[in-house]
Amino acid sequence: MKKILKTKLPELWQKIDADFDLFLPIEKNKTLNFSLWKEGEKVNLDRVRTNASPKHLVFPQTETYLKFKNENKKLSLEVVEAEGDEYVLFGVRPCDVKSFKLLDNIFLRDPVDTYYKVHRDRGIIISLGCSNPEDTCFCTSFGVEAASAPEGADIAAWDMGDSFLWKTQSEKGQKLMESVEEFFTDAHEKDLKTLEHEKDNIREKLKELPFSNIDLSKIKGTQQEIFDQEEIWNEFSEKCLACGTCSYLCPTCHCYDLCDYKGSNKGEKFRCWDSCMSSDFTLMAHGNPRTSQMQRLRQRFMHKLVYYPKNHEGVYSCVGCGRCADRCPVHIDIVKIIKKLGGEKNEL
Amino acid sequence: MENITKKIRAVAKQALINKEIDKILGWKKGDLWSESYPVFITKPEDADSLIWDSFCINNLSKYLIKELPKYDKIGIFIKGCDSTSFNQLLKDNRINRENVVLYGIPCEGMVDPEKVKKIMLNDRVTRVKKSENGFTLTNKNTSKDVLGEEIKYDKCLTCTSPNPVVYDQLLGDVVNNNVNREDRFKGVEEIESMTPDERYNFWKGEFQRCLRCNACRDICPACSCVKCVFDNSDAEISGKAKTEGEDTFFHIVRAYHVAGRCVDCGECARICPAGIPLDKLNRKIIKDINEVYGEFNAGLDSTTPAPLVTFKLEDADTFSKQGGK
Repeated sequence: MKKILKTKLPELWQKIDADFDLFLPIEKNKTLNFSLWKEGEKVNLDRVRTNASPKHLVFPQTETYLKFKNENKKLSLEVVEAEGDEYVLFGVRPCDVKSFKLLDNIFLRDPVDTYYKVHRDRGIIISLGCSNPEDTCFCTSFGVEAASAPEGADIAAWDMGDSFLWKTQSEKGQKLMESVEEFFTDAHEKDLKTLEHEKDNIREKLKELPFSNIDLSKIKGTQQEIFDQEEIWNEFSEKCLACGTCSYLCPTCHCYDLCDYKGSNKGEKFRCWDSCMSSDFTLMAHGNPRTSQMQRLRQRFMHKLVYYPKNHEGVYSCVGCGRCADRCPVHIDIVKIIKKLGGEKNEL
Repeated sequence: MENITKKIRAVAKQALINKEIDKILGWKKGDLWSESYPVFITKPEDADSLIWDSFCINNLSKYLIKELPKYDKIGIFIKGCDSTSFNQLLKDNRINRENVVLYGIPCEGMVDPEKVKKIMLNDRVTRVKKSENGFTLTNKNTSKDVLGEEIKYDKCLTCTSPNPVVYDQLLGDVVNNNVNREDRFKGVEEIESMTPDERYNFWKGEFQRCLRCNACRDICPACSCVKCVFDNSDAEISGKAKTEGEDTFFHIVRAYHVAGRCVDCGECARICPAGIPLDKLNRKIIKDINEVYGEFNAGLDSTTPAPLVTFKLEDADTFSKQGGK
């Protein structure tokens, strides 16, 4: 375990920035997002949740993969490679770290999504323990360890007040650590004790959160039975504005659309984020199988809570980051759905 | 506020029992201190879950477009800004006045949870309560008094219509409107004072964060088209790509489309997950309309024609001049 004083961070950022693209939670115009670091940017490592998740780094919102041209009746195609350099992502919360694993299950299974893989391979992820979880956090219900070092992080870090503790967890992490070793000292026995204390603190805070009583195992019924509870789906969908805020902010939502920019004799093929909230979601040549907002909203939550776990050994496609609970303009969120479906711990 | 909650419940229950209305749109408290959300009620016994507090920010008027075709008569609670958007929906022929019973609520401004979190972010606020001069923020161990100005939404601090401008029954006392009307355009003036390049870069920077989630459109009471052009895949401008051109196109088209119909409720800016100050774009157009055609506030009534869809010989621009500036 290594230790770095917070006063050394600017130098550390500079050093990392020289070799990599460095992405940090940066505050700009009232928003906090993972953005490319430049000297003088306002880095905020205190607030636990960035507005948007960092998924755009591995799954860009829009990505062109093919350019085509028609000249003198001859069609030519040009494959566009994935853009971007090697990067370091610092300050990723354990929920967002887990979301990468959930996206891997989709994009890295056969056939592997080559663009996603390139983005994923280029990144070094440094997690940060959640010293101050927010009211709308409910990661514990999804098995996320907000206090411990999350699996999937190349380096795990914890905020210790005037310093950070770093634990290297992968080869990539080790390589980065070696290149910045000069800013670090070895952690002492005392630091490790303090860390254990801090982890306990975090666990205590998590227990006290307003949504700590959700328990997915209490959701009963077969896929068909949950699907058929139209009264519940109607109740939520009649208030739903059908905007895509929830799906675009969600770290695990991964639906995309394939579109063309069409010119008179040339164009581009690209993919972009889609949302089950959009009226043209699942629109096919024959028409749309989901014609109402009820069906689309139901799709969103069935996907998170039923379909994904069915295909991935019971793992839910939610990490409890709380962005949907925080940002839905009309307060529809997955916690309310889970509770409505019966997923609440029984009060003693 | 507790008194108004009592009135809301009583009024809703009675109206449902008497079958004066088939459904009522109001607000309900969620699990969190900051969470008051829209609720639709058809059974009289459910009326007891209705509430009124400093977080009933959601404008319920727009729901009428979808709800009215399903029922003969709907009751709805409306604040000042909700009432102007109600009038706008009437003017746009999207709803019928005779199918709605309006319960007006004078509003003293709503609390912005983000501002509360800035003051007590990690102290686990459990309650925000109106006090004599402002609000009291409470958590497990302590409480703190703050002034209303510190935690109210920006849009509420410059609100010019705190009292409903249309209603069938008013619940609560009329609120004094002591807002300095000039303050409303301060944000616009800041942008106007920039050079064209600075202005371009300002909006470029803002739109860069746009997620294209359409929430600004979907919450807007002036965005009431049956099928939005951005949802019309046949129009080939659905523009799902996240590029500078598409983002800018979307926002400029939207702002022009609601020009003269925007009631300045500020909901677009409030709910934008990327924090884009979209209200400033609309307010710039409102300011221009005021300067060119004389002061006009959309939604103050449901009959006065909007300046941009009417022509008078005394209009500042008579269309007789050749070319632009």
